Amino acid sequence: MLEIEGLTKFFGGLAALSGVDMRVKPGDILGLIGPNGAGKTTLFNLVTGFLRPTKGRVIFEGKDITGKKPHSIAAKAIVRTFQATNIFPDFTVLQNIVLSCHLVPKIGLLETVFHTPSSRRKDEDILQRSQAILELVGLDTMADVAALNLAHGHKRILGIAIALAAEPKLLLLDEPLSGMNAEEVSETMRLIDRLWQSGITILLIEHNMRAAMSLCQRIVVLNFGRKIAEGSPEEIKGNNEVIQAYLGAGEYAP
Amino acid sequence: MSTAALLQSILNGLALAGIYILVALGLTLVLSIMGIVQVAHGEIYMIGAYSVYYMFVALGLNFFLAIVISTLLIGGLGVFLERSCFRPFRGQPDRALTISIGLILILQNVVLSIAGGHPRSYTSPFPGVLKILGISISWERLIIVLVGLVLLIALFLFIRTTKTGQAMLAISQERDGAALQGINIDRISALAMFLGCALAAIAGALIGALFSIYPTMGSFALMKGITVIILGGLGSISGAVVGGLIIGLIDGVMPVLTTTYIAGLIGFATIIIILIFRPQGIWGHE
Amino acid sequence: MNKRIMISLLSYGILIVCICFLPFFFPGPYHLHVLILTMMNIILASSLRLINLSGQLSLAHGGMMTIGAYTSTLLVMKLGFSSWLALLMAGFFPAVIACLVGFPFVRLKGIYFAIVTIFLGEMIVLTAGQWRSLTGGSSGIFNIPRPNPLVIPGIVNITFSSKVDFYYLAFVLMLISLLILYAVENSRIGLTLRGIQQTDSLAESVGINTAGFKVLAFTIGCFFPGLIGGFYSQYISAINPDTFGFLFTIYLLVYMTVGGAERFIGPILGAFILTIFPEVTRPLKAFVPFFFAAVLMVVIFFMPEGIAGLPERLHKAIRKLLEKKTNHA
Repeated sequence: MLEIEGLTKFFGGLAALSGVDMRVKPGDILGLIGPNGAGKTTLFNLVTGFLRPTKGRVIFEGKDITGKKPHSIAAKAIVRTFQATNIFPDFTVLQNIVLSCHLVPKIGLLETVFHTPSSRRKDEDILQRSQAILELVGLDTMADVAALNLAHGHKRILGIAIALAAEPKLLLLDEPLSGMNAEEVSETMRLIDRLWQSGITILLIEHNMRAAMSLCQRIVVLNFGRKIAEGSPEEIKGNNEVIQAYLGAGEYAP
Repeated sequence: MSTAALLQSILNGLALAGIYILVALGLTLVLSIMGIVQVAHGEIYMIGAYSVYYMFVALGLNFFLAIVISTLLIGGLGVFLERSCFRPFRGQPDRALTISIGLILILQNVVLSIAGGHPRSYTSPFPGVLKILGISISWERLIIVLVGLVLLIALFLFIRTTKTGQAMLAISQERDGAALQGINIDRISALAMFLGCALAAIAGALIGALFSIYPTMGSFALMKGITVIILGGLGSISGAVVGGLIIGLIDGVMPVLTTTYIAGLIGFATIIIILIFRPQGIWGHE
Repeated sequence: MNKRIMISLLSYGILIVCICFLPFFFPGPYHLHVLILTMMNIILASSLRLINLSGQLSLAHGGMMTIGAYTSTLLVMKLGFSSWLALLMAGFFPAVIACLVGFPFVRLKGIYFAIVTIFLGEMIVLTAGQWRSLTGGSSGIFNIPRPNPLVIPGIVNITFSSKVDFYYLAFVLMLISLLILYAVENSRIGLTLRGIQQTDSLAESVGINTAGFKVLAFTIGCFFPGLIGGFYSQYISAINPDTFGFLFTIYLLVYMTVGGAERFIGPILGAFILTIFPEVTRPLKAFVPFFFAAVLMVVIFFMPEGIAGLPERLHKAIRKLLEKKTNHA
């Protein structure tokens, strides 16, 4: 489904990503791990068009999407979440989702300004879809809360819900569990699992090693911008290079 | 066009460059240390011009004394503005911008009501010309270039050698990091405003000796200042110098080669293009 | 809900009727002129706010008005267009220019966008002042004809020979403009623009073409100053390159900020109060700019959401007061 060939990104003299190859097959749930600064978010940015690669290609469903604008990549049903700027703070939770239903259905500019019957039907549609998504992620009771007032864990879940509104075939989650307590972590893990079961292909960056290992079928490990290992969670756990990378960076080993 | 005319226009350009560099330095100091584009900078320049005018013409003070006193007073005004208007909004550049805009209105109209709207001019305190190699170099323009050079070197040395200067450099590069190192941002910001306004005031004073002054002359200086710092790269002193030289020389020479209109148009268009394609300016970093 | 809508509509209806009858209470040409200026400023400040919704500060309004004024004037005087078609073109031409320059411009963030819009405005004024053959140079154009008469045999015969006719024309333009701006803002376009203003990378990630929407806001926003520029040229009958300069654009910014850029009614309030007040206090004319600046400062320091945010502030303050009282009880 997604093929990454020799993806490289230089910032000045620094190689954030260096010749990374990767394949994601439809229905996969793949984890992307590595110490801080390994280039994981950079990879997301390159795949989804927020950065242009210095070298290499990104191919999705057979078509070259390298360097395309983020919104057109989203239109191809590749949607990502963010670590930091992941919600619309001044909107209510419901409005966050309603806006994010931008792609589905498509509402024309003129028809929305004139509030034509067809646009009103689509608005109804969107409202129902939005409420359904909120129910799915468990935020339906907070639909009218301003997003910035949400607890941190709920904000991250809202971020996932926003991505879902765009109806992704391939979902890139950037540290969805960060800052969550144990209960939130297990709930969100269940959510991610359910999303995967429903047919969404998932690529997951996570620092929470336990979660990544238990959720994902395959793991790719990055360090200093290079891929150093790829395989099943068991293989990765025992991989010496991976252990070295984490010990060397002072983080806990898998 | 004769060589003499060309050389003359180059000298004009250098004098203009001197003024532009002073204005741009002040603007970029405030921008890199306080993070705001102080759009009332042009009005400070204008107040410098009027202040020296009054002291020199109405009070009969020695020209240099007038400049020194004006500079100190206006620098003090800058410190006051920093304390009252900009410090409360550190970290909110949008509101600081709107405050700056309000300052434009206030300052322009204070001067308007005191001095009236008609342009004023005075005979230069440095009359006469220096004749070298067949061209006449007016003393005024020479003084401007010299003063500009001296101030530039002084500023450069200040930043390179003194502790405070180094602190300013640190803040301009990384505001939060500098605070963590114990650098007093309040004091340095006040100093930045003092220096920035002082430089603008000197520039205004010097140009008053060349051209007539009027209450709305500030917008000209602001446009030139912004043009120079965008060209040379924001926060870069050397960029401001080189940018000022380029723009000054262009403004000096172009009108002789083509019409003022085309020159002006090219000037604005160039900046727009630079902002779009190379926003860090010619010498800046990303 | 229905009751609320009814009350809203009723109050707007009454307001509209009042405005229609104003000329009978203030028939003097001076008063009418002030009212016309007020309505012009309301349209200008509100359109500035639309661009601001997407998070961009545009200071090109003055330049767009200049383009509109000259467009309408030249179409009528040199090409014999009907003044009504010229008026429409006066709006569309700047909008087209905004659309063209918009694409590179919207890539710039914050103050840099504002700077290029300022420079664009300066280039326009420079061109208007120098292109002698087209625009009459810095002295401008005089004797611009009044709008073509509106004739419906037997019912109306408006010849625009008196200020009152212009008053009603301005009123109609204001109604239509505010309606359009309101409709755009309350459609998904408005929602999208506000989302872009908050977190534009997130908007991109769900498929929103943020650059495209910003250009859309800029384009629509620049239609109205063009329209008003055209109207003004037909109203005052004379234009020159400096009529709508940088300072004028800044005043529009002040109207919007003081009134409150958050709410739709903000710029309307700001433009209304800040246009009428200086005229009402004519004797103190010299103090007007100070007054403006002072009000601007007060708003920035103490009421960032502007005058339009006052009712909510009062509401909160009163509630707090009541809470304190019941706590002590």
